[in-house]
Amino acid sequence: MTPSLELQSVGKSFGNLTAVDSVSFAVPQGTIYGLLGPNGAGKTTTLRMIMDIIAPDFGLVLLNGHPRHRADLARVGYLPEERGLYRKMTVVDQLAFLAELHGLRRRESLPSIESWLERVELADWGKKKVEELSKGMQQKVQLIGTILHDPDLLILDEPFSGLDPINQGLFKDLLADYRKQGKTIIFSTHIMEQAEKLCDNICLISQGRTILEGELSTIKRRLGGNSYRLIADGDLERLDEVKGVQQALFHDNTVKLLLEPDASGADVLEELVGFLTVHEFRFQEPDLEEIFIKAVRDATQ
Amino acid sequence: MRPSNFRTIAKREYLARLRSKGFWISTIALPVMMAAWAILPSLMVAKARTSQKLAVVDRTHQVAELLQQALDALAKRTADQVSFELEVVQPQADVDSQRAALDQRVLDEEIAAWVWIDSELLAENRVEYHAESVSNFITQQALIGALSAAVQKVRLVESGYDPEIVAELSSSIDLDTVRISEAGSSAEGGLGGFALAFAVFMVLYMTTLIYGQQVMLGVLEEKSSRVVEVLLSTVAPFDLMAGKIAGIGLAGLTQIAIWFATAAVLTAPGVVAIMAFLPAGTELPTLSPILVLHFFLLFILGYFFYATFYAMIGSAFNNPQEAQQMASLAVIFVVLPWIFFLPILNDPDSTLAVVTSLIPIFTPFLMVLRIAVKMPPTWQILLGYFLTTAMCAGMIWLCARIYRVGILMYGKKPSLKELWRWVRYA
Repeated sequence: MTPSLELQSVGKSFGNLTAVDSVSFAVPQGTIYGLLGPNGAGKTTTLRMIMDIIAPDFGLVLLNGHPRHRADLARVGYLPEERGLYRKMTVVDQLAFLAELHGLRRRESLPSIESWLERVELADWGKKKVEELSKGMQQKVQLIGTILHDPDLLILDEPFSGLDPINQGLFKDLLADYRKQGKTIIFSTHIMEQAEKLCDNICLISQGRTILEGELSTIKRRLGGNSYRLIADGDLERLDEVKGVQQALFHDNTVKLLLEPDASGADVLEELVGFLTVHEFRFQEPDLEEIFIKAVRDATQ
Repeated sequence: MRPSNFRTIAKREYLARLRSKGFWISTIALPVMMAAWAILPSLMVAKARTSQKLAVVDRTHQVAELLQQALDALAKRTADQVSFELEVVQPQADVDSQRAALDQRVLDEEIAAWVWIDSELLAENRVEYHAESVSNFITQQALIGALSAAVQKVRLVESGYDPEIVAELSSSIDLDTVRISEAGSSAEGGLGGFALAFAVFMVLYMTTLIYGQQVMLGVLEEKSSRVVEVLLSTVAPFDLMAGKIAGIGLAGLTQIAIWFATAAVLTAPGVVAIMAFLPAGTELPTLSPILVLHFFLLFILGYFFYATFYAMIGSAFNNPQEAQQMASLAVIFVVLPWIFFLPILNDPDSTLAVVTSLIPIFTPFLMVLRIAVKMPPTWQILLGYFLTTAMCAGMIWLCARIYRVGILMYGKKPSLKELWRWVRYA
């Protein structure tokens, strides 16, 4: 199936500063896609180039397999990192205005504005000016403004930054719902936990370059390393000497054993039971944070 | 450029302005101020000019009738504003009791004053005037004029001149002021012409600057509220800038249209009557359609020039304080027209007037002034329009390039060198 969005070695520099060196990735239809990277990696610039807010110096941006035109962007919902609303406008006027920019007439958008406000429990606030709303309410209005025109592709730049916990939950539910309808979502974040929970696919960029891209589960399997969790009594000092063990990391009463990439857990366990009373020995799911730190370190070396 | 986005942005800006209290306060405040300035003094004087009921005792039996004629002529000339209702009282033998009775009638407010004419006093060129208030200078001046005219006629007839010839020779003169222009002569007052030129210049000047600044503040607001990038995902920067300038400019035009309508009402015949105390023959300046047309065209040109410049400043800086430093640059160009205001008003054809009114950044203000005073040659108007339009186009090109970079820049205040680098970005 044609990817919903594809970037082919897109790059951009500002004067002497290279913001994005060369980024490539493909976002499959109907998935949640995470654009990950440390601060300053070029995530925002990449998203801005997708949205034609910044023109790339080179490279191609394809929407549904075709070079992206500005007019196509009306079918995309974009929540920038730097976001805000007109303070003096009423909530309904504001949303109708944003919908109008996406090609919806006011009277076409009013019913869905109403139902959205009801859904996020802001039904009584439609006639109020934005400045009268609390920060959390404004965040909800902002999200409605992004998805009101029912876009096929949602692009969210650091969507969870600055959200209170209740809205974080609400946002996550909405994204999950949205994917269920077959829509595609891209979001950027530097918080790996969020990406791990939400994403089907990820792209990791560092210093303006793609360093990892693909399905999250595959990446985890491929790069997650070979680590086990161990709870045991005995001479734990000798763990480092066991064949196949690269490193033993102690956390309170548990030990994280990083094995050589080709070492087998069963062989190691056999050795361990020789000198330890083993209570627990279990394969550990690699976490994205580890992969992330390792990949960034490898890429910079 | 996508017309639908441009329209949506312009509509939002227009409605946001029209829904703000500030718009209506300034819309009402300015004409009220101007009207107060123009009308209040006249209203205060006019109060003293209401028609008076006057009793006349003419013991010579010659003056009263002629006085009546002279006062009728005065009333006619001033559109009934300076009018006297004359009651000719027959002289009685008992002078003292008649005078006491007349005093009583004044006190009873039956009449405002009474005039006593007798031959002895008249020989000394004097007439008695009795009233509760004897400081009503304008009424007395009018009365003196009418009495003098009447007495002169009596004396001329007494000297043996034919009454008919006297009447013909002593007919009063009206001054018809006529403004000469190539488009044809039209009756207009000298004082009114000055007021009109000043008003037109002021209104154009103020609206251009006020609405230009509004654009700057609007852009800064979008930047500081961080709404700008939300918009940029669907609107191209140029559409955003153009829509904003157009919407706010439309609000400016609406305000000006309201003012012109007000002015049209104020100069309507009924209102003009109040002001008829002006020297006989003076007419209120009327806004000619051609002047109104030029006014709108020059407002649009001048506004686009300054608004684009202000939009650029707004986009490049982060807050009004920072922007104000740069905006003061614009103020220099805006203050200069004032220096040329009086010389041009005095001599609208001087080389100075022609040259300064053709400098594009001054054209909107100075050309409208020249048009209001004396219609300049057509080629000068066309040249002025052409130069200003050309410079506007250049300004829009330059500012649009800075704008599209500036609106996404936060943080450091850019230097002029940096602004120039933005212009050259692809």
